[in-house]
Amino acid sequence: MSNQIMSTRRFNISFIKDVKKILRQNIREWGMYIALLVIMAIFTITTKGVFISSRNIGNLINQTGYIAVLAVGMTLVIIIRHIDLSVGFLAGFLGAVAAISMVSWHLPVYASIPLVLGLGVLAGLVTGFLVAQMKIPAFVATLAGWLGYRGALQLATMSKGTIVITNAAFNAIGNGYVPDIPDIGILPGVHKLTLILGVLVILLFIINAINNRRKMRAYNFKVLPMYLFIIELVFVSALVGGITWVLAGYKGLSWTAVVVLIVVLFYNFIMSRTVLGRHIHAVGGNPEAAELSGISIKKITYVVFGSMGMLSALSGILFTSRFKSATTTAGTLFELDAIAAAFVGGASASGGVGKVTGSIIGAFVMMSLTSGMNLMGIDISYQYIVRALVLVAAVVFDVATRNREKE
Amino acid sequence: MAEATPIIEMRNIKKSFGGVQALRGVDLVLHHNEVLGLVGDNAAGKSTLMKILSGAYIPNEGEIFIEGKKAHIINPWDARRQGIEMVYQDLALANNLDVAANVFMGREAVSVKLGPISILDEHHMGQETQRLLDRLKIDISSVRLKVESLSGGQRQAVAIARATAFNTKVTIMDEPTAALSVVGIGKVLDLVRELKAQGCSIIIISHRLEDIYQVSDRMMVLRHGRKVCDTPVAGDIDDFRERVVAYIIGARDDFAEGVSEQPNNEHEEVQHIVH
Repeated sequence: MSNQIMSTRRFNISFIKDVKKILRQNIREWGMYIALLVIMAIFTITTKGVFISSRNIGNLINQTGYIAVLAVGMTLVIIIRHIDLSVGFLAGFLGAVAAISMVSWHLPVYASIPLVLGLGVLAGLVTGFLVAQMKIPAFVATLAGWLGYRGALQLATMSKGTIVITNAAFNAIGNGYVPDIPDIGILPGVHKLTLILGVLVILLFIINAINNRRKMRAYNFKVLPMYLFIIELVFVSALVGGITWVLAGYKGLSWTAVVVLIVVLFYNFIMSRTVLGRHIHAVGGNPEAAELSGISIKKITYVVFGSMGMLSALSGILFTSRFKSATTTAGTLFELDAIAAAFVGGASASGGVGKVTGSIIGAFVMMSLTSGMNLMGIDISYQYIVRALVLVAAVVFDVATRNREKE
Repeated sequence: MAEATPIIEMRNIKKSFGGVQALRGVDLVLHHNEVLGLVGDNAAGKSTLMKILSGAYIPNEGEIFIEGKKAHIINPWDARRQGIEMVYQDLALANNLDVAANVFMGREAVSVKLGPISILDEHHMGQETQRLLDRLKIDISSVRLKVESLSGGQRQAVAIARATAFNTKVTIMDEPTAALSVVGIGKVLDLVRELKAQGCSIIIISHRLEDIYQVSDRMMVLRHGRKVCDTPVAGDIDDFRERVVAYIIGARDDFAEGVSEQPNNEHEEVQHIVH
């Protein structure tokens, strides 16, 4: 009898020890998830449940979309030790170009969107040229872009002030939802396609996690103890399942969410599975070493800024579509939200470190703060201060955990 | 007879930076399966000479022969392709990547190529890296560990392993034992011996004369951009150290002009300097 108690106690102690150790080792990766959950929980309580309602979460995802795609690009820029301040007004300007191309030049949507994305790549390559070829610090080069694109946006919208877009297909990108499969009698009022997709995502995640675990073990790499691994799987599945359920209760998956998902999956694949992604990490980790290994820093800089330009264009399209119009102030402060999202999402100011998935979580943290504080009716001036504090906390957290790892 | 052709021969290398003459006509010979120690005071020109061999600098004058054939080395990538690898003092590793990714940096194995997108063959790279570490008896628990979590000695071992991994003819090590613990130094020196046993040709730059003494077959001393000594490593360590220090501080000089009549077997090289 006493033996049994002893062994359960010993088990409990080792369990707590394990959890503590694992938490300490993975705190950087998990910190932002915990932060997001805490923020969401606080707002849910203070708004008496309005925050977590299907409708608000649906809106939150659509609002986060245009920051999230910028944050993905910004993560790559930060990984190679640069910064891009021009993305906000570039997005605003290219959104206006999209509006003008449809309203004044009568281009169809399927021509307008590729045109704008192409212009985005071009703008990014110009930044890349200034940074890689002319060796201008990215901070200065993109500050010039910030000024220039702001001027261009004002020029583009000067005659009309606000350009209203009437094209339904274009406006659906920022406002529409994926149509559901036809009603078959079960679960009325719930978006079934969203549920099916959610289940698929969970299954894919579990299969992927098990595969990875097996591979890492084959390399003698220390993996989580089995029970913690299962807890992790259950936790993530519950999170995805919960979000899916909440979304399915309103209108389901929005087109914006689909766009963001595609961007995230694509960039995550590039960064973790391809030579290009490996080279981007290498350039960020040790530029001299990368160059000596035959990796062209110039080429990587062009590619990263080119992709940033394209994602700026995409952000502009999402934003313009959401508001069904281009305005003179579109894109204001997007760059700061995107940079904050990347840092909150675990990117490191010293370069080489950052994850696409993390930046998305970071974007949700920043936009949840905005959404929640708006719901609570907090004055905008306090909102800025709170967001500033969260950004500082994220970077302090990064530096602190990094220093401790080095010891 | 083929063995007699040195794997590397550098003749009359000159290099100046602005008004400063860093190298004033240096000759260097490295034979097959030989470990050559390169010593000298700060600014003696050791690193400059090695950076020329590894393509980081272009010499103003002089020729380089690899296995008897004249070589044109225009950049580090070019040097690498011709079998010359340099392990840099400041460790050319990316700390944010794992061991396998570092070993294969810049020459990643690809499993599928879809236009501009090449998918990494992680499995192959992991296995090859493991094999490499095993062969060189390097003790690292997993090739998936990030380099930032390794000790200084382990990092240096990874850097050296990486340099010797791909059909390397010559490995140059710039201060491989600087900033290491005693244990780390021992491991790196063991690694050098292991590489020599496996047939590698190595040049080591070091301030630590006892390291040179322990692993080198031959030793060269540079002073003010000139070679002042080129001799096999022999005798006991104290004697060796005393002799080398005399060369380093300029008290002795085998190649000074006017002393070429002195009996030594380096006449040919002396003539190069005189030219």
